[in-house]
Amino acid sequence: MATYVIQRLGLMLLTLFAIVTLTFFLMHAVPGGPFVSERMLAPEIEAALNAKFGLSDPIWLQYLHYLRGIAMFDLGPSFKYPGVSVNQMIADGLPVTLRLGLLAVICVIALGVPMGIVAALNRNKWPDTGVMLLATMGVAIPSYVIATVLLYVFALKLGWVPTFGLDDWRGYILPVLALAGFWISFVARLSRSSLLETFEQDYMTTARAKGLRPGQVLFKHGLRNSLIPVVTVLGPVVANLVTGSFVIEQIFALPGIGRHFVLSITNRDYTAIMGITIFYAALLMVMILIVDLLYLWLDPRIKLSRQSA
Amino acid sequence: MIGPILSVRDLRTSFFSQRGEVQAVRGVSFDVAPAEMLGIVGESGSGKSITCMSILRLLKANGRIKSGEALFDGRDLFKLDEDEMRDLRGNDIAVIFQDPMTSLNPTLTVGEQVIETILRHRRLTRAQARQRAIELFELVRIPSATARLKSYPHEFSGGMRQRVMIAMALSCDPKLLIADEPTTALDVTIQRQILMLLKELQTRLGMAVILITHDLGVIAEVTDHIVVMYGGMVMEQGNVRDLFARPRHPYTQGLLAAVPDLRDDTHHRLTPIPGSPPDMAHPPEGCPFAPRCPHTMQQCVAAMPPLFDGARCWLQHPEAPRVAGVNELEPA
Repeated sequence: MATYVIQRLGLMLLTLFAIVTLTFFLMHAVPGGPFVSERMLAPEIEAALNAKFGLSDPIWLQYLHYLRGIAMFDLGPSFKYPGVSVNQMIADGLPVTLRLGLLAVICVIALGVPMGIVAALNRNKWPDTGVMLLATMGVAIPSYVIATVLLYVFALKLGWVPTFGLDDWRGYILPVLALAGFWISFVARLSRSSLLETFEQDYMTTARAKGLRPGQVLFKHGLRNSLIPVVTVLGPVVANLVTGSFVIEQIFALPGIGRHFVLSITNRDYTAIMGITIFYAALLMVMILIVDLLYLWLDPRIKLSRQSA
Repeated sequence: MIGPILSVRDLRTSFFSQRGEVQAVRGVSFDVAPAEMLGIVGESGSGKSITCMSILRLLKANGRIKSGEALFDGRDLFKLDEDEMRDLRGNDIAVIFQDPMTSLNPTLTVGEQVIETILRHRRLTRAQARQRAIELFELVRIPSATARLKSYPHEFSGGMRQRVMIAMALSCDPKLLIADEPTTALDVTIQRQILMLLKELQTRLGMAVILITHDLGVIAEVTDHIVVMYGGMVMEQGNVRDLFARPRHPYTQGLLAAVPDLRDDTHHRLTPIPGSPPDMAHPPEGCPFAPRCPHTMQQCVAAMPPLFDGARCWLQHPEAPRVAGVNELEPA
């Protein structure tokens, strides 16, 4: 087990290295640069800036410098915001994003899975139709529309929650819902179909034939088996949610890192783009590792083979 | 004489889909005596499994028992409420299914799956239930029983899994065990072991067993009575010896002719029954076997034959023409 985790971590480092390399060279293949904007800089100033950030060095040298930084967890200075490092950008935005993201993850699990259960248990009856209608809307309607409608109804018209800011707990409700809406719906649909499939299994008939109560049949025999596909998507979902959303952060005026991610691209803020990409990639890989470890616990048929263990 | 432990009368079960009603079981009646082994034989689609799932009331959501009664120990199973039925399942009536690969939950240890059944129906502590599970594993001869409790189903072979299923079914000393094709999914060598184990346990524990199968060879050795089903109905019933010695229904005769006889040295081919079973969404008015029967008469297509002393065939009517080998003994 421990060897397996160490192996996986080693593999992750390798993957990360590939990602760093790819983003680095892709970035430099994109036309334009951080200091080419509408406002024309004097050539001398641009040259001086390029020299300061090492942009006039040969590209392989820039790459090596960057790698050295990464190895020491230094994502470099931002090209656009003088005196601010990318590490700092992430550190500033992360607490807000992380809090929102984790709350959204909790919502996805605590609402999505039960919604799927209710729908599956009442297949083709009104609770199923209701949940599926809601979930289909949640998957189909973009988050910014949901966010805007939520804001209009609950903040503007009813005044139950503030329109922006996170000064008290009520401020979190709308952004979290808007952020999680899609994934709640997605997970609800997935759990429903997965459960319905599990209900068809022979061992479910066995469980009923043993005289077990409906609760035992559902939770002990049904849920665990049907959660496997749900856990599969949950990994990437967590990575996605805790890295924030540009749109939601923009609409609710939240100082998260999702905003930096998008702005850094339009700004050609090389180090910021790469830093945030690498951060996201690392997070995603950790989540996938956690999911894979969860499988071991959920499904005893999955065993670490001797070669990898 | 002691009355039957289970008495099924005029059971009718249908499935409803967008295509309409599929009449899977159309008026089935039979009795199971205490401590006897009853065989129900039939091709797939003959309604044999549906009959048993109806008795247990474990039909799929679109299935419905339309009429009939199933008297078990004097109580009509179809009139019990769901709670009473649940107390009965796995306790007084237990089942073994066809495929031991899929009938055990892959995410729970086999021990847990046996123990939970015991705990559901008996007032025992977990430790006592575990002890009982070990005894059961020894009873069905699973080697190193104590250690194997902690194994998962995928760590067992097919035959061992079926033994686990049997242990689970026997956990609460059922009065009636329904074995739905318990050997069909197993290797031939294992089939016999499991069958003999079932027979041995049946005699030893004195329980009644309904053995559902499509394999007449399986049934001949172990059962006392046989019910032959076709098209959702009982075609012929009687005790094993008579039925094998003098099958009276052309369908039963066809089934027997399709079984290889290893003592037969002549190299003749097996005789298959031509045609295929009827579509139960549009069941025929007359005898369901008429389209495939070598002795069909006008009467067979026109009207459903009643059971003439255990055989549902117009040829058993006192005024029917004599056909050699069917209603007339072949010349010696």
